[in-house]
Amino acid sequence: MNTSRGDFGIAFRSALLQKGTQQRFSLIALVFLSILLIFLETIELKPLNYLRSFAKDVIYRGSLIISYPSKATKYIFSEINDHISLLDDYEAIKNENIKLKNEVSENSYLTLENNQLKKLLDDQIILSSNIVSARVMLDKKSPYLNSLIINHGGNKDIKNGMAVLDGKNFIGRIVDVNFFSSRVLLVTDLNSKIPVIIEPSGNHAILAGHGNNEPTLQYLPKNHTIKKGDKIFTSGKEGIFSPGTPIGEVLNINEKKVLLLSEINQITFVNIKIKKSIKNK
Amino acid sequence: MVIVLKSLSYNLVNKFPALLLLFVSLSGSSIIDFKIISINILYIVVYFWILRKPDSLGYGFIFLAGIITDVVHGFPIGSNPLSLLIVAGVASYIRVLTVRITLINDWLSFIPALLISNLTYFLTLIFSDYSISYLYLFQSSISTFLFYPVLWVIFSGIISLMRS
Repeated sequence: MNTSRGDFGIAFRSALLQKGTQQRFSLIALVFLSILLIFLETIELKPLNYLRSFAKDVIYRGSLIISYPSKATKYIFSEINDHISLLDDYEAIKNENIKLKNEVSENSYLTLENNQLKKLLDDQIILSSNIVSARVMLDKKSPYLNSLIINHGGNKDIKNGMAVLDGKNFIGRIVDVNFFSSRVLLVTDLNSKIPVIIEPSGNHAILAGHGNNEPTLQYLPKNHTIKKGDKIFTSGKEGIFSPGTPIGEVLNINEKKVLLLSEINQITFVNIKIKKSIKNK
Repeated sequence: MVIVLKSLSYNLVNKFPALLLLFVSLSGSSIIDFKIISINILYIVVYFWILRKPDSLGYGFIFLAGIITDVVHGFPIGSNPLSLLIVAGVASYIRVLTVRITLINDWLSFIPALLISNLTYFLTLIFSDYSISYLYLFQSSISTFLFYPVLWVIFSGIISLMRS
């Protein structure tokens, strides 16, 4: 018994504590360093944040360079597909254009009416809203985290919690800001919980991501009256995002699934809403 | 010229695991994801090379690859290096204990490596307040385990190439 325990000790020491002939670092030392890094991640100190931002910026650029060949291949394939489906797309766009032309006049009337009602309600209106556009550097969606890396950071006054839009549609929020890059947590991520309002019922809910392309509505009132196709907007309830930014529409009432207005996998440019709101008195 | 070329190709083949590790982590393709199959390539690379040819893959490289993976995927820095080093630790321990190298031995001993490293990974993410899909983690472990023999055959071929 003692012998086997002795063997175990020798094997353990040999495997973990001793450096191999070609190894520069001991395994156990690096394990402790990793644990230390995990603890340091929870500490917010200015020098540490600078160091983290610098390291992340360098790694993102490196990753961007490494991704070029695969991006180029994807681009070539998508170009070929685009050419193949050109005629079908043309017909679809032509029909859509006719339909949109008919809706334009109705929409402009509704916008006018909406602005007037907002003024009447003495609501918070956004007087000026700065939109910063950024390019998606990396979209490495891991099975656990759905996020994007964009090419603007603290240098463009981007801050944590800001809303990120694809065109005018809400797609996520900033969760990590470096000097020249930021991370966007998408609404589809498991960690994403966004307060929303459903129109026309006016019910409030939380839009929760699940790691797939269909987030769901949670915490709806018991007697809710939502229907398939109802529109979903940010409610602005927590004061983080401005209200009324479109997100998606109700896809399934039983499972409360939501169809996003933006195709999350096809985003190249995003807008970041740097809002300046003033209360209307 | 021939000597230089031979030396270059020797170095390239000898540094293959380290280069592969860095490439996979930098390109963000550490997890190959098909519908229900998600294979963690980094675990397999680390386990195989530490078990079979530890001289070709330094622990420093493993640590660096883990840090890069954390940054690229947005995980708390330190979680991936820790789980990869645990895989390396188990592989190193198995190497000391075993004499005969067979696919079955390697494959079965990969189970404790996966279990311990994924448990550590899970605990570090809980500590850092990150939500992850546990079902996905389980699926990933199973797929990684099942895919191991495929890469075992390819990597064994590369080792033969190194020796020749």
